[in-house]
Amino acid sequence: MTPPAIDMSSTTTATTTEDKPKNVGFRVGLGDITPNNLGQLKRLNTVLFPVVYAPGFYKDVLEVGEFAKIIYFNDVCVGAVCCRKEPAAGSATEQNLYIATLGVLAPYRRLGLGSEMLKHILEQANLPVVAGQPKIVKLYLHVQSNNEEALEFYKKHGFEVTEKCENYYPQFEVSDAFKLEKIVN
Amino acid sequence: MRDLPSKEANLFREILKCYELKQYKRGFKGADQILKKFPEHGETLAMKGLFYNHLEKKELAFEFVKKGIRHDMKSHICWHVFGLLYRSDKNYEEAAKCYAHALKYDKENIQILRDLSLLQIQMRNLEGYVDTRHILLELRPQNRQYWVAVAIGYQLLGKPELGVKVLTTYEETLKDLPSTPDYEHSELLLYHNTLLEEAGDFQVALDHLDTIEKQVCDRKAIKEKRAKYFLALGRLTEAEAAYRELLSLNPDNMGYFEGLGKSLGLGSDCQTDEDEVKILEMFKQLQKEYPRSNAAKRLPLRYATGEAFVKVTDEYIRSMLRKGVPSLFVNIKTLYSDSAKQAAVEKLVLGYLIALDKSRGFDHSGAVVEPPTALLWTLYFLAQHFDLKRETEQALEYINRAIEHTPTLVELYMAKGRILKHAGDHVAAMAALNEARELDLQDRFINTKCTKYMLRADNMADAEKTTILFTRADIPNPLNDLVDMQTQWFSLEAGESNVRQGQIGRALKRFHQIDKHFNDYTEDQFDFHTYCLRKMTLRAYVSMVRLEDQLRSHPYYVRAAQDAVQCYVRLFDKPDGSESEEMEGMTEAEKKKFKSKQRKAELKAQQEAEEKKKKAAATAAETAKKAGGNAAAAAAAVKGDEDPEGTKYTKCEDPLGEALKFLQPLQQLADTRIETHLMAFEIYVRKNKLLLALKALLKSIKIDANHATLHEQLVRFTLAIQKSSSAKTLKPSVKAVIDKHWSELYGTHGQDLTAFNAGFIEKTKDQGSVAHVISAAMSVYLIDPSKSLAKAEELLFSVEDEKRFGRTRTLENVILVQKTLKGFKSARQQEWKAKAGVWFPNAVAFK
Ligand SMILES: CC(C)(COP(=O)(O)OP(=O)(O)OC[C@H]1O[C@@H](n2cnc3c(N)ncnc32)[C@H](O)[C@@H]1OP(=O)(O)O)[C@@H](O)C(=O)NCCC(=O)NCCS
Repeated sequence: MTPPAIDMSSTTTATTTEDKPKNVGFRVGLGDITPNNLGQLKRLNTVLFPVVYAPGFYKDVLEVGEFAKIIYFNDVCVGAVCCRKEPAAGSATEQNLYIATLGVLAPYRRLGLGSEMLKHILEQANLPVVAGQPKIVKLYLHVQSNNEEALEFYKKHGFEVTEKCENYYPQFEVSDAFKLEKIVN
Repeated sequence: MRDLPSKEANLFREILKCYELKQYKRGFKGADQILKKFPEHGETLAMKGLFYNHLEKKELAFEFVKKGIRHDMKSHICWHVFGLLYRSDKNYEEAAKCYAHALKYDKENIQILRDLSLLQIQMRNLEGYVDTRHILLELRPQNRQYWVAVAIGYQLLGKPELGVKVLTTYEETLKDLPSTPDYEHSELLLYHNTLLEEAGDFQVALDHLDTIEKQVCDRKAIKEKRAKYFLALGRLTEAEAAYRELLSLNPDNMGYFEGLGKSLGLGSDCQTDEDEVKILEMFKQLQKEYPRSNAAKRLPLRYATGEAFVKVTDEYIRSMLRKGVPSLFVNIKTLYSDSAKQAAVEKLVLGYLIALDKSRGFDHSGAVVEPPTALLWTLYFLAQHFDLKRETEQALEYINRAIEHTPTLVELYMAKGRILKHAGDHVAAMAALNEARELDLQDRFINTKCTKYMLRADNMADAEKTTILFTRADIPNPLNDLVDMQTQWFSLEAGESNVRQGQIGRALKRFHQIDKHFNDYTEDQFDFHTYCLRKMTLRAYVSMVRLEDQLRSHPYYVRAAQDAVQCYVRLFDKPDGSESEEMEGMTEAEKKKFKSKQRKAELKAQQEAEEKKKKAAATAAETAKKAGGNAAAAAAAVKGDEDPEGTKYTKCEDPLGEALKFLQPLQQLADTRIETHLMAFEIYVRKNKLLLALKALLKSIKIDANHATLHEQLVRFTLAIQKSSSAKTLKPSVKAVIDKHWSELYGTHGQDLTAFNAGFIEKTKDQGSVAHVISAAMSVYLIDPSKSLAKAEELLFSVEDEKRFGRTRTLENVILVQKTLKGFKSARQQEWKAKAGVWFPNAVAFK
């Protein structure tokens, strides 16, 4: 299965100047998560996140449609994003989207792939809903307090820290987390 | 039809119609109706038999047809029917006899003549086929098919020029040629041209092309043939133009490039430096002309040498690594037959790795930043490269780095599995493949590979579970789908695994299954003899017939036959012993323990199988119920295998005879492979057929007088003769023949085996070949088993010598030495194992 490709060569070569090295163009594409490639997602999560996800997590991933995606770089699977919908407190017409995991394999970072996935999620969250269905009003997530990389990334995309959750990850040495949010719609 | 009043005669005609229309039940009723009044009417009795045959009652069929003939010996219908019956029973010899008999009573019966000719071509009785086809042509000269069939007959007989004559005569009878392109006529003309080509006169063939061109639909064939003929005739300028035109149609056809090179006088095996420059220049031009052609980029690597090679290869590999082409290494390694090229590639790619690590480019110029996948594919390439060199440690280092870099890529785990397999760790290899499989469950290729690795690790249960993930799910036993699909690789690998585990019966069952597939292929031709003539797909038909003639030289058959022969030979040597390789050399107590462990495992497997069967029966009954029908058929389908252990084969009366059946096709088709004759020797020497054994040895010597196993067989041959002569069973006539050939076998050596073997050791001592050492050691031992063990062991241990054997001491070889020691029941086995374990730290065989 070849994922739909977005040609990134134009965006990357556009910044080229005389003395800067020239980046070779590459192809990026998002793909669905299916029972057949679930193994790839599991493998990604094992190396990207310290948390071990229960089987239930992977069952849910198959149900959320466009809110869980794999990303391909030159046809190689190198990252994924998984979200889940949660009812907003005290409202039947609104819900929140929790970004459970979003990650890119280390050698493939700073190439815009994380942004590509987040952009997709935001687009999907902003789509008009079928009448009667709750609409998404907020995206939020937790980041380990020492994860500068991720904090920078989300801030750059307009997320704001709303809370410090102490001892959110009791199993880790750095157990505190920040909660980040972005209001949509 | 004979002696029937008109009403019944009409009815009889009707039942013949029924047969043609495949309305067997109706025909059967009609036959009964006639027989009520004329119970002894031979032709009707025969027809009734024929209908029985189609209603799955074979015994009754034969009974009635024979009865029919008894009542009407001179009826062509009765004999024809008898022939049809034999034919459907695949007994072609007898069928042909019946048809010939039928023709005695009706010489010009078109139907019978046609049926006869089909049998003749199927059995490759080509002379007979041409004769029969001539008769048919005389009877029906207006029919194109009959002309063509005669031409084909001549072609297959190796007389294409006669075929040409037939076709020319036919074409002259044609009054008006089809005005619009007519596919069948077009094929006929191209076939005619192919005959001219085969007859060897390219000028005539070329001229003929010009005359037929307008009526031929297959434009490409015309162009290809013309280019080829120009080249063959040395008309090089025209050949060049023709190949250039072809390249403009398909710039990725390797053959066109080769043709172009030849027409420029380039690309021969012994090229001069000047030629090299020229051909590389040619490709440079072509690359400009066809920038998307991969062949134009790849082919220069074949012709370039030295500096030029480094230059073109550097460019080529970089662009492939950048793109990420997983098959790159497979494509490049064909260049490695030239060790200078191998070294050059290694240097280049190692250079890329250093540069990528440091500056993210293939070199240190800093001009280009490669995508991260470039590093990934470079590591992958290097892992495969060092695996090919059997430098396991290096290979593992690179592949592990690659996996760390991108742990989601299926190919990496496959490569890792292959490295581990080559290092002798089948279990870890299997685990790696399973990891790969779990990354992409819909990839049939990786599923299949994984199954194969499971079989290599002798893990039958998991292999079966895995392979059926891709078989049909709607049949009671999904494994049967593998048989229906003629999945030979599975039978082969599973059979070889059975052999390793001492399950000879099961193994033989699988090898016989492969033999049956090949029979089926041969059988499957039958329909094409009529179909292709009707459709005029003549070129394809002839190439199919030729392929069928070579079928059993296919590597799958060769391997299965070799395995089967070994099994039968083993059965002959140890009739009671289902002894596995592991058990060889064990003490009695160890054997007992091992056997009881095996039995327990078997029992468990049996119980599981029972369980499965019950479940399958239930589902089958269920589906049958749903389908509203045939419960009996469903039951039959589940009844399954009556002899899963294959005792039918292990208990066979004449294992060597069975072995011969596997060997015979190879003697015909793989006569140039020494293995064929080495196997033949093993069979004949055991049958004490010394002359045939002699013949096998003589053939082997012709192919490769220096072959390691051949030497050991020569020693055993002398021993067999000595035994036979001391038992006074050696016939003087046989001895005379052997004596006549003695010097061909043993040179100047007389009967003194020790001297013969010493000569062999001396002669081969600088070859550095482990196989020859093993053969020498075996010979030493065989010549005098009681006294020479120490000497044989010493020979085997000489393989330790780094200087002599450092390069040839492969894992396979070292395992062979170990097995040989085991066969000697040597006390030095542990010592060997310890050494081997140092050379091959991953190999389970030495743990
Ligand atoms: C966070 C993460 C997904 C970002 O992925 P990415 O593909 O590298 O992100 P992008 O290339 O799209 O980066 C977009 C912007 O985010 C910011 N950013 C990303 N990584 C950064 C870093 N290490 N330091 C500073 N800023 C960073 C930059 O502004 C960047 O734009 P720029 O490259 O033009 O300067 C990735 O670092 C990752 O997988 N980390 C590990 C997993 C994880 O912690 N996930 C978050 C918890 S859900």
